[in-house]
Amino acid sequence: MSLIELKNVSKIYRLGNQEIPALTNVSLTFDEGEFAVLAGPSGSGKTTALNLIGCLDRPTSGEVIVSNLTLGTASSKQLADFRLHHIGFIFQSYNLIPVLTAAENAEFTLMLQKVPKLKRRKIVCQLFADLGIDGLEDRRPADLSGGQQQRVAIARAMAANPHVILADEPTANLDSHTAEELLALMRQLNQEKGTTFIFSSHDDRVISQAQRVIRLEDGRLADDSKESQ
Amino acid sequence: MSIYNTPLIRKLLPLLILLSILSTTALALDIQSVIREVEQQYMGTSSRARTTMQVKTSHWERTLEMEAWSLERDYFMVRILEPAKERGVATLKRNREVWNYLPKVDRIIKVPPSMMGGSWMGSHITNDDLVKANHIDEDFQLRLLEETETNYVIECLPKEDAAVVWGKIVYRVRKTPQVPEQIDYFDEEMVRVREIHFDDIQQIGERIVPLRLTVLPLEKPDEMTVLHYRELVYDLDLDESYFSLRNLESR
Amino acid sequence: MLLSLAFRNLWRNRRRTLLTLSAMVVSAALLILALGVFSGMFKDMLASATEQYYGHLVLAKPEYHLRRDLFANLSVDITNHPALMNEPEILARSPRLRSFGLLSKQLSSQPVELLGIIPELEQQVTSLQNKITAGDYPKLEDRNGAMIGQGLAKKMKLKLGDELVFVTQAADGSIGNDLLIVRGVFATGDSRNDNNLVLVPLPWLQEVVVLPGRIHEVAMTLANPMLAAEVADRLTPHLPENTEVLGWGDLLPEMREVIAAYGVSRMIIVTILYLATGLGILNTFFMSVMERTREFGILMAQGMRPMAIRALVLLETLFLGGIALAIGLFCGALMTLYMQQIGIDLTSYITPITYAGGTILPRLHAVFEVANFLVPAGMLLLVSLVAGFLPANRAARLNPVVAVRED
Ligand SMILES: Nc1ncnc2c1ncn2[C@@H]1O[C@H](COP(=O)(O)OP(=O)(O)OP(=O)(O)O)[C@@H](O)[C@H]1O
Ligand SMILES: [Mg+2]
Repeated sequence: MSLIELKNVSKIYRLGNQEIPALTNVSLTFDEGEFAVLAGPSGSGKTTALNLIGCLDRPTSGEVIVSNLTLGTASSKQLADFRLHHIGFIFQSYNLIPVLTAAENAEFTLMLQKVPKLKRRKIVCQLFADLGIDGLEDRRPADLSGGQQQRVAIARAMAANPHVILADEPTANLDSHTAEELLALMRQLNQEKGTTFIFSSHDDRVISQAQRVIRLEDGRLADDSKESQ
Repeated sequence: MSIYNTPLIRKLLPLLILLSILSTTALALDIQSVIREVEQQYMGTSSRARTTMQVKTSHWERTLEMEAWSLERDYFMVRILEPAKERGVATLKRNREVWNYLPKVDRIIKVPPSMMGGSWMGSHITNDDLVKANHIDEDFQLRLLEETETNYVIECLPKEDAAVVWGKIVYRVRKTPQVPEQIDYFDEEMVRVREIHFDDIQQIGERIVPLRLTVLPLEKPDEMTVLHYRELVYDLDLDESYFSLRNLESR
Repeated sequence: MLLSLAFRNLWRNRRRTLLTLSAMVVSAALLILALGVFSGMFKDMLASATEQYYGHLVLAKPEYHLRRDLFANLSVDITNHPALMNEPEILARSPRLRSFGLLSKQLSSQPVELLGIIPELEQQVTSLQNKITAGDYPKLEDRNGAMIGQGLAKKMKLKLGDELVFVTQAADGSIGNDLLIVRGVFATGDSRNDNNLVLVPLPWLQEVVVLPGRIHEVAMTLANPMLAAEVADRLTPHLPENTEVLGWGDLLPEMREVIAAYGVSRMIIVTILYLATGLGILNTFFMSVMERTREFGILMAQGMRPMAIRALVLLETLFLGGIALAIGLFCGALMTLYMQQIGIDLTSYITPITYAGGTILPRLHAVFEVANFLVPAGMLLLVSLVAGFLPANRAARLNPVVAVRED
């Protein structure tokens, strides 16, 4: 039983009367504990695929099944609730809410889940320690480096203990050293806690770190290292 | 094309109008003298009278004993003799002005225009009645409404520029002897609001006059004023100087 | 955390928030001040009618207030009727006899209204004693001493000590007349009183109009004039038959309407002033929401419900409204206090205006009235909410995919 299944998924964006096929007939499955990368040049549909997996968007055709749930007709409220409990999102940059401290940002999903304050603090402290950013709890995002910001974003995504963490080019704005560190950290969390990671990148060095590489070209599945094994 | 454009009619028209005016004036003159005589029956050229005025209202009833003098239609003076409390209270009318003398405070007060509609001495006769009654033939347009074997009925409508309070006055006058029987007063809405009845017809010198008149305010059916002439003497030797403010105070 | 998030969001663009805030504060404070001044004006108006002439409550024969019939009189004893004595709202009772007649001095005569009073009692009901420009209030010992209005004094060229003749038709049909001596002159600004009203000792007037021991009305002062109608209803069953007790609202129906209309005009003024403020708030929050599009996208991606996003923005506007309210109420109260204590005298610029039976005095003077604070306060919060609703809705309807793409 796979954790995530994309069945013949297509996504067509409409810009005026122009149709832009972002994804075309993509079928994919992910198992629990995977550490997969969506690779491909700019405009190949990586972000679109992640948004579909994360239930942030609905496919034009085909089905997305996450944790055995098909969310084809769910309301935006139901989708939000689903994301809150099952998905962690990390974006390329400016992930954090500038008026909240690092710890408050990390606590945010827990707060939405109505976890009591003390418990929230405990979880976040532990995560900050795990991610090597302990002591930065009370800093505002503006006072953190790009790498630190992304770690806080990871802490936030991890805090609610989701089934899968989706990261859209999480290292794109970092220098290569920091990028490698971050990737190593994610890999470590993936191995220690068994959290599924799916991220996108067009950086070959990052791609090489992944356990599974899925290549997209012009919205089509070009290669999947898992299939080709 | 209208017939007025024909030369003959054009020439005749002024003449026709003149004729019609003359004929109505001739008739009106007659009525006017009737009215004037009715209004001045108690005065003559000059007169002195002793009267009893009984006033009855829903709240009180009283009788005043009075003495009055008049000269032509323009001068008139009356003084209260009884009751004792009001003895000496006097009213003087000169032309269209009215003064009161109050012995209690020993002051003369001129009745201001705003009070002319007010009651005179608490009766159902107003100050205006004193001033204006004698000018009916001047302020009103007279018309013979009805003539029977015994009576004239004369309708008086106010002239356009006349400052009068009545909308219409109707006189009912007996032909022989020529004495009034009844006068009806109508307000501006042509509602009859007051009646004066005349009776107790007596011969005074050469004249025949009704000595008692009864004023009935129709909105107040239980009220009335009865004025009874006890003594009436005409053609005295009086002149204008008698009707002075100084004389008003004297006695 | 949502609360502190909202609060902190408010201060992100400090200058813009402060500008909006100051607009809200100024409008709220000015509104409170203006309403206070309006209330002051109405209070002056009501006071001029009740405290200069009518009193708050009047006991008389039915329809006396319409016909002023000389014969619709009562025994003076009714002044101390137990129902009136036992009513705690009634602070003072003044028996009065009224007569219309002619006042003259030599050749000049004026129609006047004489009010026969017991000076000591009348001064507790009306406040003409505070409006005296020359001489003194009538005294019971001074048999025929009168206090006249300034307009009348001017018209008849009267001065203190002058003798006047008053003539009227007495109740027995006789010609009531007697001398009056001018002992005082008052000026209220209400031309009707100033030109016609003459205050004289009650016993003198009773003698002149031959109504010994009789009065026409008992005028009364209430602790709270706004309760006049209520007190009147309460008293009616305990009073003798063929009497009528009326509040100022019945004596001055126009005044009652004006005061009722004030409630409506207050709402209109508040609405107009706040419309501008509301647009300011709307603009501020639209800009704020647009700027934070990506942030809302991220919050949604984390699983925040659209409703929660809406609540967040509304909370921000409510906070702003709340702060504006606190400061605005404070400033408004302060300014009202100043206008209440000191006020602005306009006597040299305008003359008193008589309207709906009352007189608006030429002064700016405020009174405190709870509704003058509650209405602007409630409306400010409402306006904040309404103005916040559109931007909040906009934020809640953002498509997270699009929002997140925005940089
Ligand atoms: N909201 C949208 N409206 C219209 N077209 C869109 C939208 N989002 C994406 N597209 C288009 O869909 C295609 C796929 O976009 P997508 O963002 O998935 O690519 P990507 O692989 O993430 O590229 P990049 O590496 O630049 O982020 C592109 O041609 C893009 O222009
Ligand atoms: Mg992308």
